Amino acid sequence: MANDKTNCIVNRSPRFSFLSEDQKQTIFHGMLKVLQDTGANVHHEQARDIFKKHGCKVDGVRVYIPPNLVRQALQSVPLMTTIFDWEGNPRIYIEENRSYFGPGPTLVYFRDPWTLERRKCLRKDATTVARVCDALPNIGFVEGLVTISDVPRGTDDVFEFADMIQNTTTPIMAWSYHRGGARDLHRIGCIMAGGEEAFKKKPNYILYSEPISPLVSDFHAIDKLMYCAEHGIPQDYSPCAIGGGTVPATHAGQLVVALSESMVGVVLSQLINPGTCIILGGVQSILDMRRGIYSYGAPELNVLSGGLTEMARYCGLPMFGTAGCTDTKVMEIQSGIEATLQIHTSMLTGANFVHDCGYTESGKTGDIFQTVMDDEIISMARIIEEGIEVTEETLAVDVINSVGSGGHYLYEDHTMKWFRKHWRPTLMDRQSYEDWDKSGRKTMQDRIMEKTRDILENHEGPISRVPEEVKKDIQKVIDGAVERVEKEGL
Amino acid sequence: MSEKFGKIADGLLHGKIDEVAALTQELLDEGVDPDEVLQKGLFAGMDVVGKKFKNCEMFIPEVLRSAKAMHAAMDKLRPVLSEEGGSRAGTVVMATVQGDLHDIGKNLAGMMMEGAGFNIIDMGIDRKTEDIVDMVKEKKPQILGLSALLTTTMPKMGEVINALKEAGIRDQVKVIVGGAPVTDDFAREIGADAYAPNASIGTEKALELIKA
Repeated sequence: MANDKTNCIVNRSPRFSFLSEDQKQTIFHGMLKVLQDTGANVHHEQARDIFKKHGCKVDGVRVYIPPNLVRQALQSVPLMTTIFDWEGNPRIYIEENRSYFGPGPTLVYFRDPWTLERRKCLRKDATTVARVCDALPNIGFVEGLVTISDVPRGTDDVFEFADMIQNTTTPIMAWSYHRGGARDLHRIGCIMAGGEEAFKKKPNYILYSEPISPLVSDFHAIDKLMYCAEHGIPQDYSPCAIGGGTVPATHAGQLVVALSESMVGVVLSQLINPGTCIILGGVQSILDMRRGIYSYGAPELNVLSGGLTEMARYCGLPMFGTAGCTDTKVMEIQSGIEATLQIHTSMLTGANFVHDCGYTESGKTGDIFQTVMDDEIISMARIIEEGIEVTEETLAVDVINSVGSGGHYLYEDHTMKWFRKHWRPTLMDRQSYEDWDKSGRKTMQDRIMEKTRDILENHEGPISRVPEEVKKDIQKVIDGAVERVEKEGL
Repeated sequence: MSEKFGKIADGLLHGKIDEVAALTQELLDEGVDPDEVLQKGLFAGMDVVGKKFKNCEMFIPEVLRSAKAMHAAMDKLRPVLSEEGGSRAGTVVMATVQGDLHDIGKNLAGMMMEGAGFNIIDMGIDRKTEDIVDMVKEKKPQILGLSALLTTTMPKMGEVINALKEAGIRDQVKVIVGGAPVTDDFAREIGADAYAPNASIGTEKALELIKA
C-alpha cells in the first residue's frame, strides 16, 4: 500500500466533509452564474480571441463564459496524471485520494538556518530548501520558499529551478515571471528528463501561476498558462483569495469566487489543449480585520481549503491546498498548532498538492525549520488517515485465544510482524525524564534545528548523479536567461 | 449645538454614513462655521476611531465605514470650507505602478489614510511613470503612495522616484512605498521616504512625514 493514499474507502480512511451534495451543487451553480453574468477580466488579447471563438461574449477585457463551455472543459480534463522524478521514477499520482505536501513559493525573507537571522533570500537558500526536502520522506513536492535576491533581477525564477532540480529528485512545483522564464524552465525540465520526448512521457515538474482575486487574469499569468497548455506541461492556476477583502467574507461566497477565478484558466487550458493537466485551488483564507494581514494561521483557512478541495473533487479537478504555515514569525509553538490543524484537515479532506509548509510571518518569511517540523506532523497525520484495518489477520482472534488472560504479546510472531506499522517519531520526545535530562533537556525547537543542520551537513542528495554535460546545458539556459532579461527587460 | 457635534462624532464611530452627512448639512443650514463642524464634529470623531483601532477595539471594515461617513460629510463641507480647513492632513496621490494589477493593499491604505484626514487621489492600477509624475505636478500632493505586488514591477517604484527627480519635484513630495515583496532595504535603495509594511503603519508614516 502506497503511503500517500488518503481518503480511500479500500484504505478504510476516515473521510471528513464540510459540504453536502446539495451544497456543492449550489456553489457550483454560483460559479457558473458568476462566469456567465459577471465574467472575468482577461488581460490577454490572444486568450480573449480564443474565448470569443468558442462562444464567449467578450466586452473590452471582460470575458463572459457560458456554462456549457465550463462543462465541456470539465469533461476534457484528465482523470489522472503522473509526475516523475528526473531519473524516471513515478513520484506523484495526480488523482483522487492522494495527498502530497510541500513548501510554497517566492517569499521575501529567509530565516538563515545557521545564524537564525531573518534576511533577504540568497541563491544558496533554494539549494538548502531542495536538499532538506530531498531528505524529508513526507515531503512529496518541492517549492523554493524564496525570492532569490543575489542574481540579476528577473532571472531568479530560472536560477532557482536550475539549482533546485539538481539537488532533489522530489518533483518541483515551479514558477516563473513570464513566458520567457517558463520556456527556460521547460528547457531545464527537458534536459533533466533526457529530451523533449522524454519529458512528454515523463513530466518532471509542474508550473504554477496565479490569477488575481477578484476575477482578474493578468497578461503574464494567462500567457504562462497558454504556454503550459501548448506544451502539455502540467500546471496549477490558483488564486490567493482574501476573505472579506478580495472576496466575500462568507465562506460559501469565497468558494464561488475562488472557483470562478481558477475556472477561467481551466477552460482556456482545455480550449487550447483538451486533456492537458490543470490543478485549481490556492491559498484560501481571511483578511485579519485588526492587523490587515492575510492570515496563514486562521482556522478559517482549514474550512475554506477543505471546502474548495471538495468543490475541486466535485468538478473532477485536482486541488492545490495550503497547510504547514503560520502567522507567527519563526517556527515555535504557535506555528506547530496552526500547522497541525492545517495538515490534519488537508489530509482528511484529501487535497492533492498541499503547499506552504515552511511559510512563516503570514507568507513573508521562509523558515526551513518549519518545513522540517511539518514533515513530522504529516507523518503523524498519515497514521490517522490510514484508519483501522479490519481483517482476519488484524482481528487476531487466534492470537488472543492463544495468549489468553494474563500474559503478554511481546513474544508473538503476530506482534513482530505488526508493531513495525506503529508510527515512530523522529522529532517528538518520548524519553524518560532521566534520559531527557541527561541528553541536554532539548526542546522540540532544539531537535528540529539539530535535524535540519544534520541534513544540511550530511545529506548528499542527487547532485553528484547529474551528468556533467547536463550541468553544462543547464548553465547555458541560465546564461541565456540573463541575456534575455538584459535585452528584453522585466 | 455641542450635542450635534457629539452626534456627528458618534455617527462616525458607528459608520452611519447618511446620518453623518445629514447632521453636517443641518449644522451648515443653521449657520455654524464649517471649520468648527470639521474640528469639533468630524475630526473629534475620527480621532476616537483612530484610537479605538489602535487598541484593537475596532476592525478594519468598521474603520473604513467611518472613513466613508467622513467622506460623505466632507462632500457637504468642502464647498464652504476655508482654504486651510479643507484637509487636516494633506493630499495623498496613490497608484499601483505600471505592469501591476494588484490593488487590495493600496485600496486599504488609501481608505485608512482618508480616515486619518488625508484627501486621497487614487490613480488606480497599472499606472505609467509619466502619468504619476504628471499627477504629482498637477495636484501637488504632500504624499505619493506607490504600490507593487510583483518582484518584476517593484523597480518601477524606483523609476517613478527618479522621474520625480528629473522633473525637479522630488523634494516637493514624500514618497511611501508598499506591497508584499517590498522591504525596508528596498525602500531605502530606491530613495523612498518611507516603507509601509501594512495600511495602518502606512497611515502612521504618512502622518509623521507631513509633520517632519
